[in-house]
Amino acid sequence: MPSVPAARLVVAMAAVAAAGLAHDGPRAADETAPPVTFEEHVRPLLKAHCLDCHGATETLEGSLDLRLVRLMRAGGDSGPAIVPGDAAGSLILQRVRAGDMPPGEKKMSAAEQDLLARWISAGAPTKRPEPEAIAPGLAITPEERAFWAFQPVRRPDVTADPAVPRAPIDALVFGADGPLPAEAARHALVTRAFLTLTGLPPAHADVERWAADPSADWFDRLVDELLASPHYGEQWARHWLDVAGYADSEGATLADEVRPWAWRYRDYCIDAFNADVPFDRFIAEQLAGDEIAGARSGDWTAEQIRLLTATGFLRMAADGTGSGGDTPEGRNQTVADTVRIVGTSLLGMSVHCAQCHDHRYDPVLHTDYTALRAVFEPALDWKAWKTPAQRLVSIQTEAERAQAAAIEAEAQLVATDRAAKQAEFIRQALEQELAKFEEPLRGRLRGAYDAPEKERTDEQRALLKAHPSVNVTPGVLYQYLPKAAEELKALDKTIADIRAKKPAEEFIQALVEPAGHLPETRLFHRGDHQQPKQPVLPAPPQVAVPEGRHEPFATDDTSLPTSGRRLALARWLASPTNPLTARVIVNRIWLHHFGQGLVATPADFGSLGARPSHPALLDWLADEFTTRGWSVKHLQRVIMRTAAWRQARGGLPRGGLPAPLLRLEAETIRDRMLAATGTLDRSIGGRPVGIKDDDTGQTVVDGPQSRRSLYVQVRRSRPVAMLQAFDAPVMECNCEVRPVSTVATQSLMLLNGEFILDQAARLAERVVQVAASLDPPPAAASLATALPQPPRPTWTYGYGAVDEQAGRTATFAPLGHWTGSQWQAGDALPDAALGWVLLNASGGHPDAAERAVIRRWTAAADARVSVTGTLAHASEHGDGVRGRLVSSRTGLAGTWTAQHGSAATDAADLVVQAGDTLDFVTDCRTNHASDSFTWPVTLTIRTADGATAIAKSTEQFLGPTTVEPFAPTWIVAAWRLAYARDPSPEEVALAADFVHRQFVTFQARPAAVPEGRSPARQALVSLCQVLLGSNEFLYVD
Amino acid sequence: MRNHHDHGASPDDRSARIVRHHRRTFLRGGSLGAGTLALAWLLDREQAAAATKPPLPKEAPRIDLVPKRPHHPPRAKAMISLFMHGGPSHMDLTDPKPELTKRDGTDYPGDITYSFVNEASKKLLGTRWSFAKHGACGTEISELLPETAGIVDRICLLRGMHTGGNGHEVSIRYFHGGIPGVLGRPHLASWLLYGLGSETDNLPAYMVLTDPGGLPVDGVTNWSSGFMPPLFQGTVLRPKEPRILNLDPPPHLAGEPQRQSLDLLGALNRRHAARFPGQSDLDARIASYELAARMQTAAREALDISQETKATHALYGLDDDATREYGTRCLIARRLVERGVRFVQLFLAGQPWDNHSNLGSALPAICRRTDRPAAALVKDLAQRGMLDETIVHWGGEIGRLPVTQNQGAPEKHGRDHNGQGFSIWLAGGGIRPGMVHGATDEFGHRAVEGIVTPNDYQATLLHLFGLDWNELVFPHAGAAQIVTAGRPARVVHEILA
Repeated sequence: MPSVPAARLVVAMAAVAAAGLAHDGPRAADETAPPVTFEEHVRPLLKAHCLDCHGATETLEGSLDLRLVRLMRAGGDSGPAIVPGDAAGSLILQRVRAGDMPPGEKKMSAAEQDLLARWISAGAPTKRPEPEAIAPGLAITPEERAFWAFQPVRRPDVTADPAVPRAPIDALVFGADGPLPAEAARHALVTRAFLTLTGLPPAHADVERWAADPSADWFDRLVDELLASPHYGEQWARHWLDVAGYADSEGATLADEVRPWAWRYRDYCIDAFNADVPFDRFIAEQLAGDEIAGARSGDWTAEQIRLLTATGFLRMAADGTGSGGDTPEGRNQTVADTVRIVGTSLLGMSVHCAQCHDHRYDPVLHTDYTALRAVFEPALDWKAWKTPAQRLVSIQTEAERAQAAAIEAEAQLVATDRAAKQAEFIRQALEQELAKFEEPLRGRLRGAYDAPEKERTDEQRALLKAHPSVNVTPGVLYQYLPKAAEELKALDKTIADIRAKKPAEEFIQALVEPAGHLPETRLFHRGDHQQPKQPVLPAPPQVAVPEGRHEPFATDDTSLPTSGRRLALARWLASPTNPLTARVIVNRIWLHHFGQGLVATPADFGSLGARPSHPALLDWLADEFTTRGWSVKHLQRVIMRTAAWRQARGGLPRGGLPAPLLRLEAETIRDRMLAATGTLDRSIGGRPVGIKDDDTGQTVVDGPQSRRSLYVQVRRSRPVAMLQAFDAPVMECNCEVRPVSTVATQSLMLLNGEFILDQAARLAERVVQVAASLDPPPAAASLATALPQPPRPTWTYGYGAVDEQAGRTATFAPLGHWTGSQWQAGDALPDAALGWVLLNASGGHPDAAERAVIRRWTAAADARVSVTGTLAHASEHGDGVRGRLVSSRTGLAGTWTAQHGSAATDAADLVVQAGDTLDFVTDCRTNHASDSFTWPVTLTIRTADGATAIAKSTEQFLGPTTVEPFAPTWIVAAWRLAYARDPSPEEVALAADFVHRQFVTFQARPAAVPEGRSPARQALVSLCQVLLGSNEFLYVD
Repeated sequence: MRNHHDHGASPDDRSARIVRHHRRTFLRGGSLGAGTLALAWLLDREQAAAATKPPLPKEAPRIDLVPKRPHHPPRAKAMISLFMHGGPSHMDLTDPKPELTKRDGTDYPGDITYSFVNEASKKLLGTRWSFAKHGACGTEISELLPETAGIVDRICLLRGMHTGGNGHEVSIRYFHGGIPGVLGRPHLASWLLYGLGSETDNLPAYMVLTDPGGLPVDGVTNWSSGFMPPLFQGTVLRPKEPRILNLDPPPHLAGEPQRQSLDLLGALNRRHAARFPGQSDLDARIASYELAARMQTAAREALDISQETKATHALYGLDDDATREYGTRCLIARRLVERGVRFVQLFLAGQPWDNHSNLGSALPAICRRTDRPAAALVKDLAQRGMLDETIVHWGGEIGRLPVTQNQGAPEKHGRDHNGQGFSIWLAGGGIRPGMVHGATDEFGHRAVEGIVTPNDYQATLLHLFGLDWNELVFPHAGAAQIVTAGRPARVVHEILA
């Protein structure tokens, strides 16, 4: 077979070299383009568009085979597909250009067409001679096999320069002697280590302790301490659960039924990470825990239970077969999703793309997919299916079973007694009824009643129908003998109480393969289970094993009662011949330390995925991981010790390694809030916390918000709003990598959401407590000593009388009782001593003459005040009311009366000084019957500086208020609880200014302070909310 | 040659052959499409062979709402979908069947798939309402829809719709997400947002107007962004306060107190960001708080229909108890689109068009409630010159069977589900007005001509928005996803203006 003409090749290569491999610009004429070969360029294009019908299957459409150039030249029913050197004369190009081929809307792009043309024009060159014979199917080409991900892991030589000692990772990122990036501040490093390893923030004391640690190995000890924390397992299990597709519900159908036992698998993962179970073992347990566990003899042992629980991994796929979706499609979908989870999590390949045909871009064949499916077929046999409930494994012990049986026997004793009693009562009731009839009717009725129902004559039936009252049944017994029915009910309760003592039966959601079950796996033509083709044996994907050494797994491992296929897969995954798994896992570990994997597409190491940014480093990590016993914790120690991980983040990338600040994951944001407010329940594991829909239809956590987010029930159809907003996955299948979004809905949630408002209030409470214990007050607090005095209430509510001679308020006694909407003398109306005295937002009611009601306004500053208002008396009875405006400085400023009507109560230009009062006094005139009144007033206050403020008595109407100073130590405590550090002087000043502005607002708008809170406390709550929603809280640097 | 995008096969065969996981695997190369990408990929390989320099990581999808250039000049910029949950009875509303009426009470000659077998019958049930020709185009519409009859010259009636499945959820998810019965996929509107971004900075670009009576069947999944980030999910505008969740502060924080919090937050965030130059995400979050604050005002303003004239109120039927509620929402939908919202969808509570029983009373009631407002929306958009760039969609997920669903007394009779053939209508935004496309058989049971599936519907709508349905891809689960999930689809060019 001719290759590219030599002279042409030289020209082409020179052109490429001259162009400096700059491929971004537009492509010029043929001469400047690099050589095109069939294997490297044309076959991938044909594979994407044509080979499905012209090569992959045994029957070729139009007898045309495009797998080899010589076959293309030979052509099919319509003649040769190509004429080398004559692009325009080549049928394939004609059909493609005309849009006939490929069929359907998805056409070859112009660039692809041009490439094809260029290749034909160049003489349709191949890279090497083509084989004489070709086996059916697409097989895997050397080019495909040469792809980086399929090469064996090779540990790179990291030549150490003794003069510049550094970790191998740093040498691979920054070079053997290149400058290392600056290390982050210790506070940042401690916080970063806590959040990375445990997903929880350090307390202020933690940071202080580590910051003050003088020893050289402080950081190693910090890392060790965190790796030993039980919360470490929670955080790293959370990452793995994403990949495994963890959910507490079945999905697939609208019912989205709850999986009551999925949480055991979640806890298994937590325990496995905490125990640093070697990852190869972790994989084997999840894939084949049942095969490792062996048969049960007596009770399941704790280890067997652990191993069976691990197989929950293979039960994570959505499964609607127990909730209305038990169809062949539904079953096969669950199998397909399981294979997909395995492929994306452990192989880092989109194996599922080969479900219907050979993978269009990666060398994963349709048979490879089927071979993988065959591994799971014995346990997930769609023709001998079990619903999720049928797959549950009971972990009840013999002892518990015996205990339950004994309790049931006890219950049966009572039940027997009850049955006898009931029969007796019914007979009693019957006789009572029968007594109402005369013989012989009585006898006939008794006979009819006593006859078994099926043997009754028509006559007897008619008789009973005609006398319904003798049809005494257990259900209506209470109508005849109420007391007897009560007695039976009591017995029912006794029985229920006894049964309640039975030990609850618990289950594991596991995948357990039946012994000796070896169903055949057939390739599904076009992925359609109704079109089964040839049988396929279980095997690893061909491309991932060295060429020519492809060996299927044993179809039946005779040393095990089960097929052993999954165990064989697990062993192969961990074997050195598999180039994928170790790289995939270390890439994920790296991802969760740096926010991005060395391969940016952690679930796709194929040709559509990203290439490794640091291939040598990836291999070094993979080798280090496997040679050190697949220890995740070891690898994390190695990674975290490096300058790469410890660098100050947020600058420009060094060594090609981006080091951005990382937005915390949804769960971590919520957990960090709970930790800050001190409400976090730190217990590990257990049943999930329920969810509910709130009044607005949002899904929220049900009950107290105290457990870590990891423990919130994951319903596929009802994601928790707060978590989903921050990109927690909604499990359709599994989550390969989380997006990080920044959207206004998050901001709205952080501004107005119920959860954050609640958390801010809790944080404020804790701030006050912590601040009280700050002794001596920290230096930072002294910066805020100039905090303003909190606003004092402008309005007070009382009763009293006017000194008619002096024209001044003679007495003012505050009303002592607040009902929630009005002030009065005591909790009862009329009050024993003060009668009907009351004041509400718009008006009130006076009592006798010396018990006028008084709404008092106190001036905050020197001002001139104008008053407008309307005094109204609505009742048609009584003599109405009198309103008077009394200034403490100038005396009586107005008198108005209203009787069955209203009066305008305007007064202009009253001069007041700070602390002066204006009293709005309403009395009863001569008698206080029917004296309900309204008197809303508006004060226009002009201060000396020219500013005008409006005070409306209705809007500013207020219940009891407390005057509490804003303690400067609150600011310090808030910073420590939210950020685990002290505020800077500038930050203290910002906070103090904020408090000041809040106070000014509250002075004018007392309603901005919710009842039961002081203005100072409200300002603190808002300050806390700001801290919880700030970038420093949401990101880790 | 095999053609698995064959449209010649009978609809039932076709849907049976559809394989759920048959997914197209093309990655998006900016707005340039798969071809360019294939070339880039090719060059990438060449480069890898020529030098050891690692290739550039592929472009990640853009997860933002910045306006984006479509693939080709768009006809439509916005869409309002009036979703008619339950399956409007097309043979009583939009698809006259004289033969059915003639053979009322006789047995249907063919096979029927029933959802409610216990009440199934083969007795043909002719319509009890009369049809008449309307407009210059002469489209026949039932007397139940007098207002819709008045806009026939502006709409395109599709009588050959087909989902193949009779169930509600199966077909609803097909319309919204692209695959029958499958949850977890982005709504059509999510694709529009992903491909085109938003025209407004002050309002969510995809809004859902729910019914005061409650959520539609399938609940919140009706506006899910599926595997796309929540940025592309529908924002619910509720029929009662709070209209938008978390939009408004609690009363005590409203106004100045919250403004002060935002100021402090901004100051702290800016100080924080100053320490990390080049971290654009930090700036984006600062900006998103500001947007949140702006939305509070903008949304209020958009909802304030008191700004509309009396004539407009009357047009939408706001002066009539029967139409006030739905009319208000239609009017709000227009105001939202006017302010740059890309996609608005109106839902009804439950499924009022699901007339298994009492067809004679239930169907007129729901028509009465929605007919005038729906027609008013089209008229109003037209008179404001907005219809040219705004698509209006009216339709449910299925239609109804031509036979009686037996409920005892004749007045209680109804019709069972039918996904084999039914009607929807489209108007504006490049849709050809005054036409009928497609037809069902003589009984209205199966679509036989001009068959349009939800996948065709999606392809056509994306096309009108200037997007190639086949090129708009989102990487997920190791594959390049498209709106139609690789299922057979085509742009229905016949209905384009």
